[in-house]
Amino acid sequence: MPEIRLSDQCKPSLTPRFQRPSWLSTASFALFLGFFLWSLAGAGMSISDLIGGLPNMGTIAGEMFPPATDRAGPIMEAILVTFQMALVGTVIGVILSIPMALLAARNTSPHPLVRHLTRSIISFLRTVPDLAWALFFVVSVGLGPFAGTLTIIVDTIGFCGRFFAEAMEEVDPGPSEALDSIGTSPLDRIAVVQIPGALPNMINTSLFSLEKAVRSSVVLGLVGAGGIGAELAISMEMFRYDQAAYIILMIFILVYAVEHLSSRLRERLMHQSQ
Amino acid sequence: MTSIASPLLPQTVVSEQSTTSSLQVYGLTKRFHGTTTPVFKNVCFNIYKGQSVALIGANGAGKSTLLRCCVRLIEPDEGNIVLSGEALSSKKGRELKKARNRVGFVFQKHCLVPRLSALTNVLHGNLAHRSGPRNWSQCWARQVDRDRALHYLDQVGLADLWNKRCDQLSGGQSQRVAIARALMQEPSILFADEPTASLDPNSGQVIMELFAKLSKAQNLTLFFVSHHVEHALYYADRIIGLRNSELQLDCASGTENTASLRGFYA
Repeated sequence: MPEIRLSDQCKPSLTPRFQRPSWLSTASFALFLGFFLWSLAGAGMSISDLIGGLPNMGTIAGEMFPPATDRAGPIMEAILVTFQMALVGTVIGVILSIPMALLAARNTSPHPLVRHLTRSIISFLRTVPDLAWALFFVVSVGLGPFAGTLTIIVDTIGFCGRFFAEAMEEVDPGPSEALDSIGTSPLDRIAVVQIPGALPNMINTSLFSLEKAVRSSVVLGLVGAGGIGAELAISMEMFRYDQAAYIILMIFILVYAVEHLSSRLRERLMHQSQ
Repeated sequence: MTSIASPLLPQTVVSEQSTTSSLQVYGLTKRFHGTTTPVFKNVCFNIYKGQSVALIGANGAGKSTLLRCCVRLIEPDEGNIVLSGEALSSKKGRELKKARNRVGFVFQKHCLVPRLSALTNVLHGNLAHRSGPRNWSQCWARQVDRDRALHYLDQVGLADLWNKRCDQLSGGQSQRVAIARALMQEPSILFADEPTASLDPNSGQVIMELFAKLSKAQNLTLFFVSHHVEHALYYADRIIGLRNSELQLDCASGTENTASLRGFYA
């Protein structure tokens, strides 16, 4: 192979491997570092407390084994209710998210004002934490799974509304323009282009939302919104760590099963045509 | 080459088969926002029913813009359009959409819905005339419409692939489905914007032959944009050309040769 020689005149000069950061980058990094160190104190980080707590952790972990199955029946019932809350809340939330997303997406919204208003509502629903919604609904409709289901509906609209709208905005505009050119109605274009085009993303988001709802419905019970959370809180308060271990194991099996099934379902639905 | 003197008037290159106008364009001008030079100005032509007309011109000459302006997908700044005897310029909203129902459009990119089957995509051509869920998917379409959609798929040679998802079809097959969708609409005039641009030469020729065969068989008016001088010469009755923002060519395709038309791209 002939050797390629470059004369000194036409050799390109190499730029340095690393460039010196600008003073603005250095100052920003220093500011971030300072804030982080200050936050460590604010977050109550304490190595001595952690070391001091290790024996307690060991004791609790020891008492957790073997997990107690003496209340297996009521716990399984509570696990089922938790899943039912998550399922019903997610399905209703997903259904309600579709019109919200259509109003919030740039390419389907009837007017910019409607889009901004809908986006603001969705943002509000999303930014208020689910525990705050749960407390609100417990006070409004009383203790029990209904308050939890309402919380999941609201949380799902906040989550799916945003991602469905983004999925619709990402749909290739070509097919919609093609159908617009022959005079089809906006509703037809939404039904045959926007929704099928956004469907893979919408299915993904819905299944993630179900997984999120299952995890969230576990915690909702802690504030009286039904489900397994209440059982867990009672077990911990009564120092029945073995019973708590059984509940945690059941929660793990539920969450794992939902995640596994949802990814299998996602794969199947992605490859189906109409 | 037939050069057109300005001011332009509707041209008189008339197809032998008809003297009824399918599309008349008078003094069409379009400027894009922030530019001083118009994309085209004072464009006039008259396409007769059953004619096959090729629109040629260099890149950026405004061919696609002119095609879209003819159905007001892009609003022209000046000029009048008469489509099948109806003035399009004054129409708004629902009336404009109704007028567009008679115009089939095939784009450079096939513009099919990728996740849906070929048959469902063809069925969507029906939405131009009948709105509603019965035409959203072949699953719940009327039997008569399913049969028609399959008939048009058969005409483009893809009846066997009716249930195949469009994202699993080749570029040429997808473009054939787009033609079937346009035919499903039963248009009186078919517009095609560089329908072979994304295809290899052989597939491109197959598509153009299909266009020519089907438009003649159904007495459709065909108005297509092409970069291929050969396609314009072989598949069009008439060629019109845009250059320097003006319509500078309007001739019967038999009167020109490849070399003279290539000069039009210089």
